[in-house]
Amino acid sequence: MSEFDAIVVGAGPAGASAASRMASSGLNVLLVERGDPPGSKNVSGGILWGQELSKLYPDWEKSAPLERFISNKVTGFLTDDSYIGIDFRTKKFEKEKTGYSVLRTKLDGWLAKKAKDAGSTVITGITVDGLAWNDKRVVGIKQGNDIITSDLVVLAEGANPRIAIGEGLRPPIGDHDVAIGIKQVVKLSEQVINERFNLRNGAGMAAEFSLGFLKNGVKAGGFLYTNKDTISAGVVIDIAGLRKDNSTYSFNIMDQFVSHPYIAPYLEGGQLQEYSAHLVCEGGIDYVPKLYGNGYMITGDSAGLSFSNGMVIQGMNYAIASGIAAADTAIRCKNSGSYDLDQIAYYDNLMKDSQAIKDMKNFRGISKVTWSPMVHEFIPKFAESVLNGMFYETGEPKKHLMEIALGSLKETGYDRKKLIIEGFRLMRKM
Amino acid sequence: MNIEEKLSVLNYKTDPTYAHITVKPDLCEVCPDHFCTFACPASCYKLIDGKLNFKYEDCVECGTCFVACSHGSVNWTNPKGGQGIKYKLG
Repeated sequence: MSEFDAIVVGAGPAGASAASRMASSGLNVLLVERGDPPGSKNVSGGILWGQELSKLYPDWEKSAPLERFISNKVTGFLTDDSYIGIDFRTKKFEKEKTGYSVLRTKLDGWLAKKAKDAGSTVITGITVDGLAWNDKRVVGIKQGNDIITSDLVVLAEGANPRIAIGEGLRPPIGDHDVAIGIKQVVKLSEQVINERFNLRNGAGMAAEFSLGFLKNGVKAGGFLYTNKDTISAGVVIDIAGLRKDNSTYSFNIMDQFVSHPYIAPYLEGGQLQEYSAHLVCEGGIDYVPKLYGNGYMITGDSAGLSFSNGMVIQGMNYAIASGIAAADTAIRCKNSGSYDLDQIAYYDNLMKDSQAIKDMKNFRGISKVTWSPMVHEFIPKFAESVLNGMFYETGEPKKHLMEIALGSLKETGYDRKKLIIEGFRLMRKM
Repeated sequence: MNIEEKLSVLNYKTDPTYAHITVKPDLCEVCPDHFCTFACPASCYKLIDGKLNFKYEDCVECGTCFVACSHGSVNWTNPKGGQGIKYKLG
């Protein structure tokens, strides 16, 4: 007889959602979090997209600690001298709110409280050392000399899953599986943020850039997200490129981004509240391990459930969705009285039909595009050159766009054959 | 602001009895790249007079060094008992 029906390791969006849903259905649940309080180890990559939380808490948009709803999406390129962006605002985003900026220490604290209110036992400040096994089946968790038993263990450890790797439930992390995320949260008043970004009534902006000013094959994206009275500014750095160069400090890329001539003014006068770093899952569907086994399920970032196609970045919503799917599987097991492998496999079936796995399958190999020299070197330089050709008034007769484009193409010095191959790949994958 | 100044705004509950990350000095001594010094966002790995110096106290627990070190020198565990980095915003 196990002490718990389920033990959940990690109280982030995946784990806290799983615990809450299971406890609401009457399961005896233990949620263990190493951070004290929950969320104190976690870093938001920015925006909580979608309506996953409404499945757990229909009133979440009123009660969860959200910063701003996203009314304005910016995607663009930064070069040494230029800012090139598409700045999209639409009333549709204001009417049907599709995403919110969040800060994780607040959000995860709220999620963990919800899990507790639903009836889970929540313990914080406890680091789980490993899993307890019996006859090739996970039967609980190990902490120090103690073993706590459960019929199921839900692993929701985040992007640096020590237990899943340590227990051989997933392969170790490679250069292409994750990127280095670094973030600074800068304090400004709500009013100043509204004025600088042209925002009103709780609306916010989410901006992502390809950092075309980086040299020697170092590649990174940059982001700016408006919170209520802070701005989250950060970078996501490709490890393979950084390794090959082996002369650029990751923290200097963060500095270069916030010092860029057209980013710095947004942050001017702001006080640094927090500096943080976190791995970002980038491996796509090929990095997703087997999601379940005898006595366990893997959820959220621990399972690599995160996605970026260069235009949208998703993670927290996938985490919540996978937590709900794991919970529904556990509830089904409990009701049927069987925790056999074929019952736990139900989780895999649910996930196969999920937006997360569908998106990731649909965009298999997208990181080859999002981290391509085309996106990080060619397009920023080419776009800058074309726009200069179009808008810079020289007093000489105007040229046709095609002529400008061909001239710009030459100016970038980019290999044409490579361009055709990468361009074709970009169109196909994106 | 340099990295040391940025780290100084953070809150840590440092565990003086347990280094949650350890490196193998014999491997680091002959390391051809010391990529850890470039990758670590908290500058915990520094080359001082050609010798690798590692400081777990500034670690923000991101896991980068575990991926960065391709020589098997980094042993990475989570701090115990709620210790280590304590973000207030996240």
